[in-house]
Amino acid sequence: MSTLDKIPVREQPVTPGQSTKRSNPLAHVFDDLVAFCRAKSLFMLHYCTGCGAIELPPAMTSRYDMEQLGIQPMVTPRQADILLITGYVSIKTLKRIILTYEQMSSPKYVIGICSCTVNGGMYWQSYATAKVLKDYLPVDLYIAGCMPRPEAVIDGLKELIADIKTGRADNWKRYFQNYDYYLGNQQKLFGDDWQTPTDIIAEARCYQLLTDQTLGKHTALLEQHQQPLEALEMRLRNKEKQARD
Amino acid sequence: MTKALDTLLDSLLGELENIRVQRVTQRRIRVDVDADALPTLLELLQGRAGYIHLSAISCVDWVDELQFELVYHVWSYETRTLISAHTRIPREPGVYISIYDLYQPAAFFERDIHEMFGVYFEGSPNMEKFILTEWNGPPPMRKEFDSEQFVHQHFEFENYQPDWLRELEARGGGITKRPEDIR
Amino acid sequence: MTLELLAELLLMPLVAFIIGMLMVLMMRKIAAGIQRRIGPPFFQPLYDIIKLYGKQTQISHGLIHEIGVIMAVGGYIAAETLLPVPGMNGIADKGGIITLAYMMMVPSLGLALGVGQCANPNGSIGISRALTAMLAYDIPFMIVMFGAGYLYDTTNLADMIAIQQQQGLASWGIVQTPLLAFAGLIAMQAMLGKQPFEVYVAPAEIATGPMVEMSGKFLGGLFVMQCFQLYTVAVLYTTLFLGGGENWLTFLVKIFAVIAIPMAIAFLFPRYRTEDLLRLMWKWPVVLGLMGLAVIMK
Repeated sequence: MSTLDKIPVREQPVTPGQSTKRSNPLAHVFDDLVAFCRAKSLFMLHYCTGCGAIELPPAMTSRYDMEQLGIQPMVTPRQADILLITGYVSIKTLKRIILTYEQMSSPKYVIGICSCTVNGGMYWQSYATAKVLKDYLPVDLYIAGCMPRPEAVIDGLKELIADIKTGRADNWKRYFQNYDYYLGNQQKLFGDDWQTPTDIIAEARCYQLLTDQTLGKHTALLEQHQQPLEALEMRLRNKEKQARD
Repeated sequence: MTKALDTLLDSLLGELENIRVQRVTQRRIRVDVDADALPTLLELLQGRAGYIHLSAISCVDWVDELQFELVYHVWSYETRTLISAHTRIPREPGVYISIYDLYQPAAFFERDIHEMFGVYFEGSPNMEKFILTEWNGPPPMRKEFDSEQFVHQHFEFENYQPDWLRELEARGGGITKRPEDIR
Repeated sequence: MTLELLAELLLMPLVAFIIGMLMVLMMRKIAAGIQRRIGPPFFQPLYDIIKLYGKQTQISHGLIHEIGVIMAVGGYIAAETLLPVPGMNGIADKGGIITLAYMMMVPSLGLALGVGQCANPNGSIGISRALTAMLAYDIPFMIVMFGAGYLYDTTNLADMIAIQQQQGLASWGIVQTPLLAFAGLIAMQAMLGKQPFEVYVAPAEIATGPMVEMSGKFLGGLFVMQCFQLYTVAVLYTTLFLGGGENWLTFLVKIFAVIAIPMAIAFLFPRYRTEDLLRLMWKWPVVLGLMGLAVIMK
């Protein structure tokens, strides 16, 4: 069902010394250094969606200490690298997850923990849950289970670390490169007037990740319905006091 | 004191007509009344028998009898008894009176029942959606709403063929009941 | 400006950065030890900083946001050049504790500028708490610093070190004025922003306060600032009260010991509210400092 397989992506990571443009073996030393550091230091967002969040505190505390791997929890999406979707994703939550995802700075990784993100899991018959997470966000790793034990979570994170080291974990680019596909799926769930404060197309243009799959009929629909977002109204006195006066 | 309140309760319930009382266990009483007598019953229970705590309001969908059954659970701290007051309303208009004036927490339960079953409570302060804010379909807890059919119409599942399953099937094993048959 | 001075001006912040990173590692290892965990590997602070600077998309809120973080880091870099270490004095002769006190206020103010531009209410709450906390701890801090200056009869940090090293252990600040040293220890705990004076960060309450909108290079800058902050406070305390360092070995032992004390206390406490912090800082360290001053000035 997913048409993502038909989109050509770079299959092999760039290994040092094999680049066609330069034959200098030191050409990629900084890239390798930064990729190494990215693998060794991961900030996970402490926003855990559903019931699977219960398996993260044991992984962080004394018994299965995740700080040994360099992973520490951070509280805002701006500071975090990993977005952990633990558990079922109701449609209400999915909106907030997408807002959170778009606020993170790249490179960012999405991990779908628990079977509900894989194919609906235990709540597949529900009218209010999203079944396949990777239709709405690019997912780097799934850790199946209900819930997976902390050892399984740490095992999955170690696989992610190995992927980052070899340079294969660049799914964040796919969001920019195939924004029309993701936006289409999001609009199917949320309606045609779905918009987020982040201007993905402008960002794609700025970081030169714009492809011909970024714009399409769904982004045209977005442009039709897009309204400028206004700041929230700040009131200094509450309504009852105003009514009394 | 408990015995005095018990006899008070019995005399109170004896005063009303068209009422059926059944003591389910020592601490639970089931009362069935008509729809127009229920607010009066609750007011009497609250004022004269000490049932000042509203635990919950539930709704049951009797789709074959074309009725909704509303159940009001009230609790007394002194006698520590729960009274479940059952009443039936016709399914078609699905409108009932709100007991917000008696018990303020009722507003929350009535809002929930309105969202899930479509029953409108007149006099309830806020009937807006708060759980199913992204939902535009029929009230989902009604028995005529088939959630599974809805899912099959509106969502698409992933074709799940992981490597380890292929290896098992190559060796002659595999799963006995395919997910497509269960779904 | 001789070549040697120029080399010192470049080397001192670099040395401060490396020692600061080791201090951050020590802080995390102490936290892990208290919580019966293992803690991060050895180069973890370096990996964090390189990863943060290696982010490939930037979320900047404007020019003032960037200037704010530059001021935050730059204030501390300027402060490092005023702190003498064994072998390098930098410009410590030209500016004493007065210039240093001014320099150490610049980072908070710069961060306030940057956070204001971010326009996030959590950040505004956090930075207003941070500035209130700065108001709280600066009073005892000034009393302690100028008390030490009165004790050694000079405001020049290099002279203070020379006096303490010539006259031996009996002339160390901590022996001569234990009251001022203790008040300084409390003020130091607030200056580092460690529990129980950590209200401006408040990770779960206001989403790390001032750092809420900092991502990528901005957060990397703040991590660098943390390294400098630990180093600056430790070296200042050592210079004033623990006799500086005759050679690098004793110096390093002293500054790591000075930092280990607040860290060990910090991870055992919850935090004070802002007004309680203000009340506490204006009561106990100030009283102790004034008593210490009275003892010296007799």
